[in-house]
Amino acid sequence: MLRPAVIDDAGARDGAVSLLLPELRRYLARDVDGEAIDREGAIPEATRDGLARLGLFGLTIPESHGGAGLSLGAACEVVATLAEADRSIAIMVGLHAGLGTRGLVQHGTAELRDRWLPRLASGECVASFGATEASAGSDLTMLSTRVKPVAGGLRIDGEKSYVTNGGFAGLFTILASSPGLGGARAASLVCVPRDAEGVKIGREEDKLGIRGSSTVTVTFDGVVVPWSHLLGEPGKGIVLTHGLLAWGRTIMSAGCVGAARSALAMAMAHTHTRRQSRRPLSAFGATRAHLAWMSMRTRAMEAIVRDVSAAAEAGGPIAIPSAIAKVYCSDTAFAIADRALQLHGALGFLEPTGVARLLRDCRITRIFEGANDVLLVRIGAALLADPSALGRTGAEALDALALRLGAAVDAARRRWGVGAVNHQLALQRIARAHIALAVGAALLDGDDAGSSHAVSELVSEGNEALEALDRADTDDARAAAVLSVLAEA
Amino acid sequence: MNALEKPRELTLSILAEVAEVTPDDLEPHHRLREDLGLDSLTSLELLSRLGEALKMDLEFEQAMDIRTVDDACLFVERQCSVPQ
Ligand SMILES: Cc1cc2nc3c(=O)[nH]c(=O)nc-3n(C[C@H](O)[C@H](O)[C@H](O)COP(=O)(O)OP(=O)(O)OC[C@H]3O[C@@H](n4cnc5c(N)ncnc54)[C@H](O)[C@@H]3O)c2cc1C
Repeated sequence: MLRPAVIDDAGARDGAVSLLLPELRRYLARDVDGEAIDREGAIPEATRDGLARLGLFGLTIPESHGGAGLSLGAACEVVATLAEADRSIAIMVGLHAGLGTRGLVQHGTAELRDRWLPRLASGECVASFGATEASAGSDLTMLSTRVKPVAGGLRIDGEKSYVTNGGFAGLFTILASSPGLGGARAASLVCVPRDAEGVKIGREEDKLGIRGSSTVTVTFDGVVVPWSHLLGEPGKGIVLTHGLLAWGRTIMSAGCVGAARSALAMAMAHTHTRRQSRRPLSAFGATRAHLAWMSMRTRAMEAIVRDVSAAAEAGGPIAIPSAIAKVYCSDTAFAIADRALQLHGALGFLEPTGVARLLRDCRITRIFEGANDVLLVRIGAALLADPSALGRTGAEALDALALRLGAAVDAARRRWGVGAVNHQLALQRIARAHIALAVGAALLDGDDAGSSHAVSELVSEGNEALEALDRADTDDARAAAVLSVLAEA
Repeated sequence: MNALEKPRELTLSILAEVAEVTPDDLEPHHRLREDLGLDSLTSLELLSRLGEALKMDLEFEQAMDIRTVDDACLFVERQCSVPQ
């Protein structure tokens, strides 16, 4: 049977990780029942304990505080491996290693780090992150949770929605509006222990996918924490959150890689065993095209995650690269899961094969840690603000695309000036072309020979986006016309 | 508010709205990105709003040198002093 190279351990660069991954795979195959996690809507405590014994809660926590101190890239490889087996577990561990503990590791006071990081590393305590509120989703400036200085520390009042890991987390990092701390409408990041008086945990949400992952509302009713629980400079919460999100989005993209690997493996296995018209499905040209499409895109996802992780390790800014990885990986993982389901026919639509669950699990990644529509606008705006981000790769087709995109960006800057911000469709199409280019360039950075097809496909996608860019204003006007007809009816 | 008469006040009020702070919280040395949390998108929003208030189509080249609150105020003051 053809075994796709993407299922190998090519990404496992850190020595520690290459030792951990085989052991982790054995544990996941032996002790984790993804179907039961989905059915019961919870990860069993025994599984959490097992993961803790393997050291998975300490992946990115410094060795000085009991963790493994792994790089972002190495943590990504672990999260991808978890997502191959079960996305709820990958989200739990990924959120803990990303948004959950990153703020404390980077910006926590010595006292807070010494107190909490060892417990978070051992898995005795799991971390959560709360930014979203009922009225503050994509727009985090609408926060109504407040933190204010009082005698004895900082008082927190408000409610956070959709808090991942919240059902059992021991420590919450929350973003709250902080009048009186760095400006009347500034926001700050604060750590709140679960057992602080006034913390109330809501019931578990009933979800489409990642059903085993804990998602709850957390209410803070007159909670008081010491000043040492403030992360970073007071009033700098939004800026710090953007930094944490860049790290978290990269880890989440790695989860998408794992989901795609799993979808591809299931599709490969099924199409080689299922026979119709006296031959295996994999012998049909149309099936082969689907499998190749899935395999090439899985490679591309792996490449962009590696690329962003390497940039982070080199100390470079990854706000836009991580948004690029997040949009590409979440869109693509869902599309790959959809093809895997199609190739399974009716069996794919039934729950026992696990493909339906995979598709359900992947859907959320296009929404959380920045909805893709919003991130596309940001990626487009960032390129307009700084076109020098378009570097040369040395590969002819990619450089031709870069040239064409550069010309389109110049034209947009001349045509709309800074008013380009009001042309969302155009910004999104510029972003799509930029994503194709960035992912293509990341594939060149890798050392596998099979990526040239993937690069050609990405170049085609980039060119299509630029063709659509020419129609952006027309499409915008058409959409407005259609909606005004609807409004009149 | 008339931009030509009170360019600094106008700039501070638009900037405060975009950065979700009150004008009194703004200090001339505050950096738009690092201190006020503006990213490329919100910076463009700010400049587009300033352009609308000045009734001018601002070009990227003009806008990209604005890094601090004071830069923004000086920029608008300069635009207002240029005969239209
Ligand atoms: C299972 C799950 C787990 C989560 N975990 C966490 C967590 O641990 N911590 C946390 O803080 N949050 C968490 N979230 C919340 C998540 O991050 C938000 O749902 C997400 O940021 C989007 O916000 P929203 O749902 O309010 O959507 P909205 O902001 O209402 O957006 C809805 C849609 O409107 C469109 N839209 C919105 N704004 C714009 C714009 N400016 N331009 C163009 N289009 C736009 C987009 O299409 C978007 O998808 C979780 C959510 C879920 C479902």
